Amino acid sequence: MISLGLLAAGCAALFFALPALLIAPASVEKSDVILYGALSKHSAADKYVIDLYRRGVARKIVCVGSQVSWELYPSDYARESLVSEGVHAEDVVSLRLPLAPCGGVELPRIVEFVKAHGWKSALYVTHPEDSRYTNNLARRIFEREGVALSVSYSPEDREELTRNWWRTHWKTQRMVGEAMIIALDRFYSECR
Amino acid sequence: MNTALASLSKFKQSKLARWGAVAIACLLAVYFLTPVLLNKAAEGLIREDRLVKSDVIVALAGDNRCNREKRAAELWRQGWADNVVVSGMSYAWGFHTGEAARLYVISLGVPEEKIYMICETLNTRAEARALDDLMRERGWNSAIIVTSAFHSRRATYTVERAAPGRSFYSSPVPTGSPEWTPRAWWSRRDDVYVTVREFASWANTLAGGWQ
Repeated sequence: MISLGLLAAGCAALFFALPALLIAPASVEKSDVILYGALSKHSAADKYVIDLYRRGVARKIVCVGSQVSWELYPSDYARESLVSEGVHAEDVVSLRLPLAPCGGVELPRIVEFVKAHGWKSALYVTHPEDSRYTNNLARRIFEREGVALSVSYSPEDREELTRNWWRTHWKTQRMVGEAMIIALDRFYSECR
Repeated sequence: MNTALASLSKFKQSKLARWGAVAIACLLAVYFLTPVLLNKAAEGLIREDRLVKSDVIVALAGDNRCNREKRAAELWRQGWADNVVVSGMSYAWGFHTGEAARLYVISLGVPEEKIYMICETLNTRAEARALDDLMRERGWNSAIIVTSAFHSRRATYTVERAAPGRSFYSSPVPTGSPEWTPRAWWSRRDDVYVTVREFASWANTLAGGWQ
């Protein structure tokens, strides 16, 4: 009975610690390119990416994502949105990725694209809950290929995600989903 | 010979040896039974009903590959219903995944006027409520629910609870790569995520948790 109680308390503590465990401090380094990967329904990272571009953090932007429906790539729309907000059209491209089972399969394709353009450093703008894992996994994959990587996210996205997150379905789903991804990836060599 | 018999008798009398044999038997049982139980658990997520001609075929949202919509169009062509419902949600950049699904279903031969759309479907329960509203509005009483196989039992359970008094029949997308496959699901990274998440979603649905 005591063991069960302790187990339940441990699970509850782990659950409420998810934001602290998953969200890493944002790190913004001057880079050759911004990889804009925070493309989802609940993200409002456009403003943040435009701000980074205007501050001269990077001169190029790549909107990265796979399809969410038939021939529908959010990265195409994010690109259009950035252009409409004043980013030079020649400075922003959309990179359409095939659907992949995990980041470990997807990231080498992005590195390949970055290297093909001769870029040596990148700033990855991702979802807040994905930041610590991306900082670990993506940085390893990028640095292995000679590309320096920093990982950041929109402060607005972080604020929205962490506000009463345990009471909102999509927020809980994103936090628990990310924790599951991290745990499951450990068991599959192609994802580590 | 006598020495061997004496050793065997000694082994039988030894408590440690008996417990060892039980432990080995348990380990073997776990080794051989776990895959069977895991396969059975995954197969339990699937619900496939005998098809009955219905008022509408509903392709639930959430399939990036649009195999649900493809299956719905296939059933429509076979004459199982006159209407098709697709669903999806809008993004901040001004597009709607349901609209893309609608265009895909049109490209598969379903006439535009036979297609209806459910908007803002953040989760299965919200989708079920929106479907109930649409069915009431259109006077439909029966529907064929098309979704991914892993989602089929929970989806049909959810719509039946949201719309009591109407008839629902589940006709999921066939399993097999690149779609989810229940057999040995733990050996494939994309299938393991979907399966574990579905078990968690079942727990949430039954507990009436996050909506």
